[in-house]
Amino acid sequence: MEQTQKAIYRRIYVWEFPVRLYHWINGFTILFLIITGFLIGNPLQLFYANEAYQQYWFGTVRFIHFVSAFIFFFNFLVRIYWGFVGNQFARWTNFIPLKKARWKEIVNVLKVDVLQVDPSMRIEIGHNALAGFIYFFSFLAFAFQSVTGFALYAANSQSFLPKLFTWVIPLMGGDFAVRQWHHIFMWVFIIFIIIHIYLVFYHDYIEGRGTTSSMVGGWKFEKDENINNDE
Amino acid sequence: MPKEMPTMREAIESKGYSRRDFLKYCSAAAAILGIEAAGLPSIVRAFETKPRPPVIWLHFQECTCCSESFIRSTHPIVADVIFDYLSLDYTETLMAAAGHQAEKSYQDTIKNYAGQYILLVEGSIPAGNDGVFCMIGGRSAEQIIQEAAKDAAAVIAWGSCASNGCVQNANPNPTNATPIHKIINKPVINVPGCPPIADVMTGVITHLLVYGGSPELDSQGRPKEFYSRRVHDTCYRRPYYDAGMFVESFDDENARKGYCLYKVGCRGPVTYNACSVTKWNGGVSYPIQSGHGCIGCSENGFWDNGPFYQHLASFPGFGIESTADTIGTAVGVAATAGVAAHAIVANIRKRKLVKELKDESVEINDEDKGGNS
Amino acid sequence: MATKRIVVDPVTRIEGHLRVEAVVENGIITDAFSSGTMVRGLEIILKGRDPRDAWAFTQRACGVCTTVHALASVRTVEDAVGISVPKNAELIRNIMEAALYVQDHVVHFYHLHALDWVDVVSALSADPKETSRIAQSISHWPKSSVGYFKDVATRLKTFVESGQLGIFANGYWGHKAMKLPPEINLLAVAHYLEALEWQKEIVKIHAIFGGKNPHPNYLVGGVPCSINLNEVNAINSERLNHVSKLITDAMQFVNQVYIPDLMAIAPYYKDWGAIGGGMENFLCYGDFPTHGYNQTDSFKFPRGIILGQNLNEVVEVDARDPQQIKEYIKHSWYKYGAGDEAGLHPWEGETEFNFTGPKPPFDQLDVQNKYSWIKTPRWKDKAMEVGPLSRMLVAYAAGVTEVQDIVNDTLARLNVPVGALFSTLGRTAARGLETKLIVGWLKGFFDDLVTNVKAGDTTTFTKEKWEPSSWPQSCEGVGMTEAPRGALAHFIKINSGKIENYQLVVPTTWNASPRDPSGQKSAYETALIGTPIADKDMPLEILRTIHSFDPCLACSVH
Ligand code: HEM
Ligand code: HEM
Ligand code: NFV
Ligand code: SF4
Ligand code: SF4
Ligand code: F3S
Ligand SMILES: [Mg+2]
Repeated sequence: MEQTQKAIYRRIYVWEFPVRLYHWINGFTILFLIITGFLIGNPLQLFYANEAYQQYWFGTVRFIHFVSAFIFFFNFLVRIYWGFVGNQFARWTNFIPLKKARWKEIVNVLKVDVLQVDPSMRIEIGHNALAGFIYFFSFLAFAFQSVTGFALYAANSQSFLPKLFTWVIPLMGGDFAVRQWHHIFMWVFIIFIIIHIYLVFYHDYIEGRGTTSSMVGGWKFEKDENINNDE
Repeated sequence: MPKEMPTMREAIESKGYSRRDFLKYCSAAAAILGIEAAGLPSIVRAFETKPRPPVIWLHFQECTCCSESFIRSTHPIVADVIFDYLSLDYTETLMAAAGHQAEKSYQDTIKNYAGQYILLVEGSIPAGNDGVFCMIGGRSAEQIIQEAAKDAAAVIAWGSCASNGCVQNANPNPTNATPIHKIINKPVINVPGCPPIADVMTGVITHLLVYGGSPELDSQGRPKEFYSRRVHDTCYRRPYYDAGMFVESFDDENARKGYCLYKVGCRGPVTYNACSVTKWNGGVSYPIQSGHGCIGCSENGFWDNGPFYQHLASFPGFGIESTADTIGTAVGVAATAGVAAHAIVANIRKRKLVKELKDESVEINDEDKGGNS
Repeated sequence: MATKRIVVDPVTRIEGHLRVEAVVENGIITDAFSSGTMVRGLEIILKGRDPRDAWAFTQRACGVCTTVHALASVRTVEDAVGISVPKNAELIRNIMEAALYVQDHVVHFYHLHALDWVDVVSALSADPKETSRIAQSISHWPKSSVGYFKDVATRLKTFVESGQLGIFANGYWGHKAMKLPPEINLLAVAHYLEALEWQKEIVKIHAIFGGKNPHPNYLVGGVPCSINLNEVNAINSERLNHVSKLITDAMQFVNQVYIPDLMAIAPYYKDWGAIGGGMENFLCYGDFPTHGYNQTDSFKFPRGIILGQNLNEVVEVDARDPQQIKEYIKHSWYKYGAGDEAGLHPWEGETEFNFTGPKPPFDQLDVQNKYSWIKTPRWKDKAMEVGPLSRMLVAYAAGVTEVQDIVNDTLARLNVPVGALFSTLGRTAARGLETKLIVGWLKGFFDDLVTNVKAGDTTTFTKEKWEPSSWPQSCEGVGMTEAPRGALAHFIKINSGKIENYQLVVPTTWNASPRDPSGQKSAYETALIGTPIADKDMPLEILRTIHSFDPCLACSVH
């Protein structure tokens, strides 16, 4: 009797390897960029017996920032590319709510997240519409941080890549302003991460579809009946 | 014309260049100065026949520090510049004539040397408001600059005032102080700095006269010759920066050892200027060498990038000393607190929230296990 | 009666944009109007900013007297929040200010003022031998040979014959009021060039302590440079030796060139000892503290006021007293909440534009109404002259012996009465005399610095009240200095660590202002009255008197 009420879940391969790889490279480089960026903005107070020529820690911090920055940037480019060739869950259409149904889901997820009510409709197995939309903005933030970062970096560099971004400096009113915005956007990332990680766990909790591990293994779980409905 | 005074052409030829080089130099000068090909003969004639190119130096909204800086030039010394290199026909600071006689010197030059004189501008223009915030000889700054720029062969904007508006352009810019390049319809060589270094000023002029026209300019109209590097890139305290050895407050142990001034607000990392290379007053020092951070005096809008002793500008409307970091920390704490509160509420309501999931899930116990095996 | 309005605009060889309109009747000026024609609104811009940054903003009031506003500003903040600076900082500030005085006064004499008295064209006909003889008879300055003056004469000749007169074009050469013999004219032209080269040296003192000139760096709570005799990267013995050498050279230049030239030229213009006076009252805030900003009796220049040209009494001045110093705007292009007749103490000062004059282009100002961007400061509703003359008079009356000696000696050498001090000549002479004194003090300050450092005190900054969180919630301060052009004060009101109000009352504001609501004229307008005009198309005499004040218009309006 009871048996019939128990749902049957099926495994769905949501996040392909490139998406997962991208995600973790992205996550770790951003973590490094925040730590090193924070130090660049507010260096530690250290008193040394050593002389300057014996050490280079601040230079190293900046080096890590720049190396992470390059990895972060190319990783981001890969993700943009994957948005056109990846599976349905990876496509860019997940990020921009063009259809009415996506907007409805945004409202629904907002109710779930903010008012903590039960989901009144099934939440999309890929990115939910709200998450997707927020990632769209975080992609813009990635782009902004890359543009401002490389514009600042251009002064240290003879390479063509950073030079592509020098137009930003006069546009934003000089290096100081660019650096200021670059710094401010660090906080956008910090706050994104706090909320993002929490929501991942929260949705895992209320949806019970294995959200958290999905970014590791790629799999999510969905009720058989929902999948049938879909088809 | 007395033989002692070489013309521009003679000067150039005496340095081993041919007449063809000279013409090439003139056309390069003309091209860079934005003079049409039709205007070329006049510039050739000017440098060929006039021993000293005529120069007009105008003053608008400024503090005359640019003129003061100019006369501190050590190589060349300023007496040589104004008596041998140029004919400084109008400069309110030094000229003997005043009033109508001064006016006459100005009018003579713009008429007799149309298309041939160099226009040097010190100060910003208070645009609009009928020009009442800066009037000279009963005319507005805007009227004068338009007239003077019309037939100028080259226009140089001295200092931050003329090239970015400087202090009077700082928020709320009560007089609508506007840099020259936004007022006139001509290429302008911007030589920012408050003031610019004396030897940079005479350097730009000599470049113009001796080395083939306008120096190469960057996207903001500044000569790369002097503004291609940040103060920070060539700062002699840079090793301390890279080593992470900073002055924590003025005259502390670290300041007395000459560590990097970054943490007391140095703007060297975001300021393009020649200070750390050319240095000031004949190479004696520059701000950082004398213990004060760079305040970014050659950058657009640097007055609004304060407070000067702090890395990030404070945000108006957020109380005292609210930098991005204090606001960021506050929002970060708020976000964490929100998340925590959310988690608590979620836990309290967990029965309701996960009821369906619980109902749907199967229970497995040892017995079942045993049974199945 | 032949009445004519002479307009001189631009007044050149000054700082900034000054317009003078003078009414001339029968060859004598009977009325005059002085107008500042450029404004930037620094007092408006300063609102809401960090008081510790104010020095940099106000310093940009002027690049000619390029340290005094910074000094007044750090003093006003220190006064408001209660900071007293270390001994070394006081000395270094004095050294920088004294260096400015010497540079500014020499540049004024040779490059801004001299061409009113020196006929460059007449110098062409000078006999270099005679010039050399005169030069050697008045000074030990080594560059006094015949060959030297011959070279200068040749350079001048070549220049004039080129037909491109540059800065000398359309000057007042051959004017009836030019009285110097050709030989002295040549001497002055030679020293014009010498001074131009020397002035860039003395300011290296600013570069050493403040990083650059113009606009060296200052710091609330001290000075930004650190002293460390065991470090290559701080003020060490090499840096101090450099300063010492510059001071020695400055003393030589002042004593062997400037002062002898002044004394050589003055006798030809003794008539100017009776022209360009007229002011009754003289104000001096005093400066060069030797035991702290609040120890007024330790000042090298004493503080005080001379009323009615009475040198027997020095009246006290208190800038904090709301009844003493007030600024009026009856004839200035501003408006006050309390109306056009009101006078406001600077702590309550307001700066709001209200242009009512003719729209440019115009020929004449509407002098019956508002006619200047300069406000009109008054002390107990009296007009005051400020500047070198006021300083010398106040110090003289206060009994400062070195001032009394040098003034008496000069009067005797020129054979003129004390009354000649109240004139264009007196003002120009006072500037020279104080330069001579100050260059000596400069040496004294430096020696004191060395003594102090030798005794082991190398502190240059006090950190204690650096953070605005350590300040009172609201407070107010006055920073007084004597700028080269006279009494300068900055007034600040601080609230929650930010500038609530900031007002500058500047030397040239006192001297060049339009009249006050009761119609009293300020110094420029007063001094011009009675000046003879030989040729109404050549305003040379107007320039002489106006230049004797060393106008700074960017300062005056700010
Ligand atoms: C998530 C991404 C990033 C974060 C959170 C971040 C954060 C920061 C922060 C906080 C600073 C210090 C700014 C200051 O206070 O003055 C900084 C500096 C800088 N960042 Fe980034 N950054 C990111 C990405 C990038 C990228 C993609 C680049 C590209 C090269 C870059 C290049 C720079 C450069 C050149 C500086 C100045 C370092 C110096 O001059 O010493 N950053 N960053
Ligand atoms: C530095 C920290 C992190 C950053 C910047 C970050 C960023 C992102 C971004 C940009 C996406 C969208 C992926 C895409 O489709 O391109 C995403 C998705 C996701 N992330 Fe993260 N992430 C971070 C940390 C984590 C952590 C620690 C977890 C889990 C333990 C996690 C789990 C997930 C999951 C499950 C998704 C898919 C969720 C959904 O579609 O709603 N992330 N993350
Ligand atoms: N304060 C100030 Fe001034 C004025 N007036 C001073 O000497 O010149 Ni630019
Ligand atoms: S740029 Fe600075 S120094 Fe030059 S005139 Fe402007 S305020 Fe003065
Ligand atoms: S003192 Fe300023 S310019 Fe020099 S290294 Fe430090 S931050 Fe850079
Ligand atoms: S403040 Fe200006 S003078 Fe040079 S070191 Fe900075 S650009
Ligand atoms: Mg004022």
